[in-house]
Amino acid sequence: MAFDFESTTFGTREERLGSIVGYVGSIKDLAEQSRCGTLRERGRCFSQSSSCDAGCVLGYITHIRDVALINHAPSGCAAPASPIVTAQTQLAEKRSLSYNTVVLGTDLNESDTIFGAGAGLRQTILETWERYKPAAIFVTTSCVSGIIGEDVDSVIAEAAEEVPIPVVPIHCEGFKSKVWATGFDACDHAILSRIVKPPQQKGNFVNFKNFNESAREDIIDMFDAIGVDTFFLYSNTTLEEISHISEALATVSICGTLCSYLGNGLEEKYGVPYIKAINPLGVTGFETWFREIGRVVGKEKEVEAYITRERAIYIPQIEEVKKKLKGLRVVLGMGSSFAFQVARVVQELDMEVAYVTSWHYDSRYDDGNPPPHVQHLAAHTPVDFPVNIADQQNFELMNILNTYKPDLYLGRHGGTSVWAIKQGVPAIFMADEYMTFGYKRTLSFAHTVLDRITNRSFENNLSARIRLPYTKWWYQQESDSLYKEAE
Amino acid sequence: MGKSSIRQVAIYGKGGIGKSTTTQNLTAGLTELGKKVMVVGCDPKADSTRLLLGGLAQKTVLDTMRDVGGDIELEKILKTGYKGTKCVESGGPEPGVGCAGRGIITSIGLLERLGAYTPDLDYVFYDVLGDVVCGGFAMPIREGKAKEIYIVASGEMMALYAANNIAKGVQRYAQKGGVRLGGIICNSRNVDREIELLRAFSKELGSHLIYFVPRDNIVQHAEIRRKTVIEFNPDSHQAQEYRNLAKTIQENTDFVIPKPMTQERLEEILMEYGLMDLVEDYKI
Repeated sequence: MAFDFESTTFGTREERLGSIVGYVGSIKDLAEQSRCGTLRERGRCFSQSSSCDAGCVLGYITHIRDVALINHAPSGCAAPASPIVTAQTQLAEKRSLSYNTVVLGTDLNESDTIFGAGAGLRQTILETWERYKPAAIFVTTSCVSGIIGEDVDSVIAEAAEEVPIPVVPIHCEGFKSKVWATGFDACDHAILSRIVKPPQQKGNFVNFKNFNESAREDIIDMFDAIGVDTFFLYSNTTLEEISHISEALATVSICGTLCSYLGNGLEEKYGVPYIKAINPLGVTGFETWFREIGRVVGKEKEVEAYITRERAIYIPQIEEVKKKLKGLRVVLGMGSSFAFQVARVVQELDMEVAYVTSWHYDSRYDDGNPPPHVQHLAAHTPVDFPVNIADQQNFELMNILNTYKPDLYLGRHGGTSVWAIKQGVPAIFMADEYMTFGYKRTLSFAHTVLDRITNRSFENNLSARIRLPYTKWWYQQESDSLYKEAE
Repeated sequence: MGKSSIRQVAIYGKGGIGKSTTTQNLTAGLTELGKKVMVVGCDPKADSTRLLLGGLAQKTVLDTMRDVGGDIELEKILKTGYKGTKCVESGGPEPGVGCAGRGIITSIGLLERLGAYTPDLDYVFYDVLGDVVCGGFAMPIREGKAKEIYIVASGEMMALYAANNIAKGVQRYAQKGGVRLGGIICNSRNVDREIELLRAFSKELGSHLIYFVPRDNIVQHAEIRRKTVIEFNPDSHQAQEYRNLAKTIQENTDFVIPKPMTQERLEEILMEYGLMDLVEDYKI
């Protein structure tokens, strides 16, 4: 796709990637419709609340540890700032780094909505520089600033003349997209258009885009084994470090959803190859991904040597534990990349995928091709299992769990796994994006599943003592009975 | 809110058509009939009560709120004008910033909380900016506020386009509330066959031409002196026209849910009454 890095705005996932949040079908149908370009949003006549792209931006851009973020919004929009900054500070502390990023808000009130708040924003930008001396100031927009048509770009351009650092708008009005992952793209657009510099020299490193870098040490060792350095982003990075990502050998990611904009954008703008293989979850995912990296950076032999060595250690152990997992029926509820990649891992471990619910789905990525992991899964799955796309519509998930009565629920967002447990279904909250990464963690994950299903007293006791808010009527309906038809 | 018998009236129409002039002269006429009237200006320009107050002496609701917060005394924003008329200006932001529609919502809400709608009132007039541009400007006809709508129009094409568009907004809210169109007021621009055109247009809407206000330069003379025509020259013919308009409004019982027309139908009416016969006149 043609990226426009001159503009401060960018297309939403719906516009760029044909993303949807309402669909019920199967993995093969989803893959087929992605290829044919026939996939359509079904929409809902009733929906629960979900997350917004502005919240996503707040949680993601603050991984950088030396900037300021001004949330041009009512104070409530910045409510997650406190736990987010706490978490980021702890991630930095783990690596003995200082975390100096601050989150501020313009606290838009009723008067601001009527008269505009450009003057207040300008003052906040100048005051932020005076007090905190950040490496850059990012200004995020909101539903309110969008509705009143606040000219944020002009205010920023004016204020930027008075401070010696980049002041960068991030346009992420909450209503802009139904897909909160558009917020990742909003961050990447700001970074690519205003922060990343043209390459001065070629480095011997790969950009590794992830969330919380929990497998950092293992990954550094892994890339060391093939003679390549690793630069993780954005967690614990400085703005100066990020400005050099155009010098990388390649861009890789733990998550297809997370990196589509940055990876493809960096490739288009500066020619940094983006590894578009399936992601490194499970054995197949890891080997496919790592071999592709080896091919792109010219380290095929080193990669093969690493794979051979690691397989010898872990594959026999994985095969052993698989025997105890065989036949377990699993429902998964995750983001658009993890849902189908972890489903692949589930099948690798000889469990059955009973149902996948994905928080959204991109019909294609920014390179114009359908997500490779969905195509891979559709081609290799032993059964055409059912799929729905729902932006954390918990009432639908509860209906699905009640209908399919799985042995296990795997969720990557805490709220849903709690509800599964309340319904009596053992659940694992897979918050760590590296839980199924590579051989070692695939083995570890298999043991975690085994542990989780061996002792079921927690969900049995909890569900026996809880009255859920859903009526018998709802459980008798199809999970998509409150969908509109596809346009 | 005040007593249910208060007639709350919203005046809409194309920008520059004469809504404020008509509303204030009409108000002056109603006061002569002994009616207690409050005029609420719903235009950021805050010039809806200028003729009743003898100038732009009014601090707007929103300016006051911005200066002192929500703790406002009614006397600060409600001024008494010609023959006891109560005058309020909603006000709004500078052009190009903020949201004027949101300002009207806030402003009317504040007036209600402050008890501006006293039981002694017979009429509240909302003089609303231009076309119905967003939900904020439709505020007076939502939530059971204004129940009567009058659209000021003329024989000019764009005035009728705007009037038809406003009728769409009225229809929307009429179907779920009690708001009704009371009629079309023609503020004449001396367009040929204007009265026939306005009658045909009003009939097509399912309403009626409630009054035809002839064009008279005395209106401009009075405006320059910051007065209604009735105050400036009570014996003039135009002053009597406004008294007649006031009496007609007072006695009006014909309230309808309008039936806005398609663009094609509107243009047919314009061709029939406004254009076809005049083509020859424009030959050089």
